[in-house]
Amino acid sequence: MDKRGNALLSDGSRCIGCFACETACKLEHDLAPDTHPIRAIVTGPLERDGSLVLSFLPLTCAHCETPACVAACLTGAMQKREDGIVFSDPELCIGCQTCAVACPFGVPQLNSKNGKIAKCDGCKDRVDRGLWPVCALRCPTGALLFGSPVRVVQEKRQKEATRVANRLLGVDTST
Amino acid sequence: MVEHYALKRFAGTCKPYDETVRTVCGECTVGCGLLAYLKDKRIVDIEGDENDPVSRGRLCARGIAFHQCLDHPDRIGAMLGRNSLSEPFDSRDDWEKSLDYLAERLRKIRARYGPRSLTIGCDPEAGLDFFIGAMRFARLWGTADVYHPLYATRGIATRPVPAIPFGPRCTDWGKSKCILLVEADLATTHPVAFGRLLDARERGVEIISLDSRFTPTMSKADEVHTIRPDSGNRFALALMKAMIEEDPRVVESAKTLFNRFDDWKCSFDALDFEELERMTGLATGTVEALARHLAAKSPVTVITGKRLSGRDNSAIWSTMALAAGWGERGSGGWYPLDGGLPPFRPFTDIDESDSRRRPAEDGRGLGKDIDESFEMSEDPENPVKALISSGNCLYDFMSTMRGIAKGAELSIHFGPFPNDTTNLAHFVIPATLWPEREAVSFSSDRAIRWAERIIEPAQGLRSGLDFWIGLAQRMADVRHLEWKAYFPWTTKEGAADTRAFYGWLLEQSPLTSGCGVERIIANDGNTPLFWPMGPAAPAAGERNIEPIFLPAVFEPLSRDEERERFPLLYQATRTISRSGDADSFRPFILELEDANAVEIHPDTAAVLGIETGDEILVHGPGETMEASARVSRMVPRWLIWSPRRLGSNCAVVCKKGETREEASRILKEFLR
Repeated sequence: MDKRGNALLSDGSRCIGCFACETACKLEHDLAPDTHPIRAIVTGPLERDGSLVLSFLPLTCAHCETPACVAACLTGAMQKREDGIVFSDPELCIGCQTCAVACPFGVPQLNSKNGKIAKCDGCKDRVDRGLWPVCALRCPTGALLFGSPVRVVQEKRQKEATRVANRLLGVDTST
Repeated sequence: MVEHYALKRFAGTCKPYDETVRTVCGECTVGCGLLAYLKDKRIVDIEGDENDPVSRGRLCARGIAFHQCLDHPDRIGAMLGRNSLSEPFDSRDDWEKSLDYLAERLRKIRARYGPRSLTIGCDPEAGLDFFIGAMRFARLWGTADVYHPLYATRGIATRPVPAIPFGPRCTDWGKSKCILLVEADLATTHPVAFGRLLDARERGVEIISLDSRFTPTMSKADEVHTIRPDSGNRFALALMKAMIEEDPRVVESAKTLFNRFDDWKCSFDALDFEELERMTGLATGTVEALARHLAAKSPVTVITGKRLSGRDNSAIWSTMALAAGWGERGSGGWYPLDGGLPPFRPFTDIDESDSRRRPAEDGRGLGKDIDESFEMSEDPENPVKALISSGNCLYDFMSTMRGIAKGAELSIHFGPFPNDTTNLAHFVIPATLWPEREAVSFSSDRAIRWAERIIEPAQGLRSGLDFWIGLAQRMADVRHLEWKAYFPWTTKEGAADTRAFYGWLLEQSPLTSGCGVERIIANDGNTPLFWPMGPAAPAAGERNIEPIFLPAVFEPLSRDEERERFPLLYQATRTISRSGDADSFRPFILELEDANAVEIHPDTAAVLGIETGDEILVHGPGETMEASARVSRMVPRWLIWSPRRLGSNCAVVCKKGETREEASRILKEFLR
């Protein structure tokens, strides 16, 4: 995301594939049940060295630096804001799905409720009011972090450093 | 300990609203704090309460979308009646007349067939008040056949309350050195509490998970083991024996704590590891290694799944935690999921006022396991002729009673939505859902909080208590006592006084007595009250504790003759959805769970020629269901899994168009 904007950090080690993020997003944006603006990608269980591995990773729009969907949009509905958020303006969208074809990640989907494109808009209306996007706010395990790129990376580093420090110090966690 | 201070979260809504309600989520037993935003008395947004000490503003998918069903167009809004199951329902608008009619029918059935002719099924969706009301009504009527999938034994005390080494609250799981999860898929059933488990893991707590499927919980564990479904308590018995043999501190501690220590220890000497190995599917060497490992990792918190809590031998976890000393300093112990309801004595007041009644009359039925292996065989001398069911219990935990329902003279369904149980009813009472009721919330952490009603129920919807009081008023002549003695929380107008009910209920347990409902209502929720209010866990050095002995015989988990014809084990557990049927009317939740899917291991599927998406038939001893195959390593080769119940715990699966016998033959050879 643009350096002036915010970042959404997905932590696969805490994601459990519960789809609370997706449910929160669909309610916030009044989407049809079969749209998936954010999705926990489930891989596995796969057998690795005799053990099973099952992993989850929440994925949503990458809000590309040079978004193909914006370039392809026929009506100018798909736009990129100064803070990096790529969104579709429902007033201008005609539901032609050209953006869906152009996107290399298949992010834009048709919202069958209104015949317009549904995609992650970074919860721009909430962010403009200083609020977190609903996916990050509701996530039951804290697998999604939101904030300035520097701050979310710092958060991840601090957490990891705390974990390592406690293990190195041999802290008795029972006290 | 080096602490980490988390990123500040900024919560709020963008939706226009004119009212907020702060309450506790009723979808599961974590008890997440909720903030509901309302506009013109309708919910427009839901968010987690950032000040809630457990959930910290987080919510799961169910907690986010629960309100989608409240004004669903298919919701039952009026009483419905019909004379036979083949007829369509007529709308019966008048509550009083309808109850008059039902009471008259019930009175006739009782006069003709006796008091044992009534059975009541209580789905958790109907609420705790429905269950307690049902038990009181059943007592008034003279039967004890009241069933509930969670509170069969744990919640309702028929014996003195034992000393329980309560496990630490989920906020304190980081104080344990190891967390052992047994048949508890916390990540799926209680995602917000699972966030706390991940926090503990990040602090260095080791996670060990035992389950029959490879669940999302197992995917985050440090060590996993596969066991047979519903065998977790038997694993506990084997582990207890191994701990006695491997850890001399356990023996020393047990010697000081337990009554009849020598007899207790001798009972475990008689345990046949091989028999338990066959039942649990877990090798003896693995159990012994776990015992050694846990001895080095004390204190341990054991989290058991709800399917284990009410079953035979579940109290062995309590004995184990006491003997191992895990509960000392509140750093470990036993944490039964959904076990946060204090043990109530629901008939003490009636017993006091009715000395002629024999207490044993009420023992039957309340302690039964309700699951796939539960079978209701009709007693020819006491045929069930009237059935009152709630939620979708006849297609859930009481699925083996469908045949009885079809032959009943009167079947009443108390539920908010039309479902398969409605189809077996002569009369339907529209029910409220938890956001439309005020209640005391009992969380798995043993927190007691007041859950405010979010919205007023629509005209015509009734709470469970209203229903039972309405019936009891009309059945007054069936017992020698006045009905009011059974429902002392009734208002002058004949309706239920919910606050008085919960105040009364709290007094029925020695662990919550004296708490007072007003104190709970006045509490701001940020620092909830917890039970036990007085000393209930054994104090340090306390002796004369009655331990759980090894049972003399084990009930088989499935019948050998059935396993011959149905060689696969069948497990049905809800994933996203919960009991009742409300999730079928929440489009976003419905989207998340494929109720038609049956998981099959790739090797098992290969020998049967089944691929993902194939139409298959799952045959159980008494039922066959159509499903869609999902080939996955989540299940072991000997197990198939679905969110749907089959009414059996063994099955055979085949592609549509192929024979059950052939599939059975192939599978027996494959699994040998």
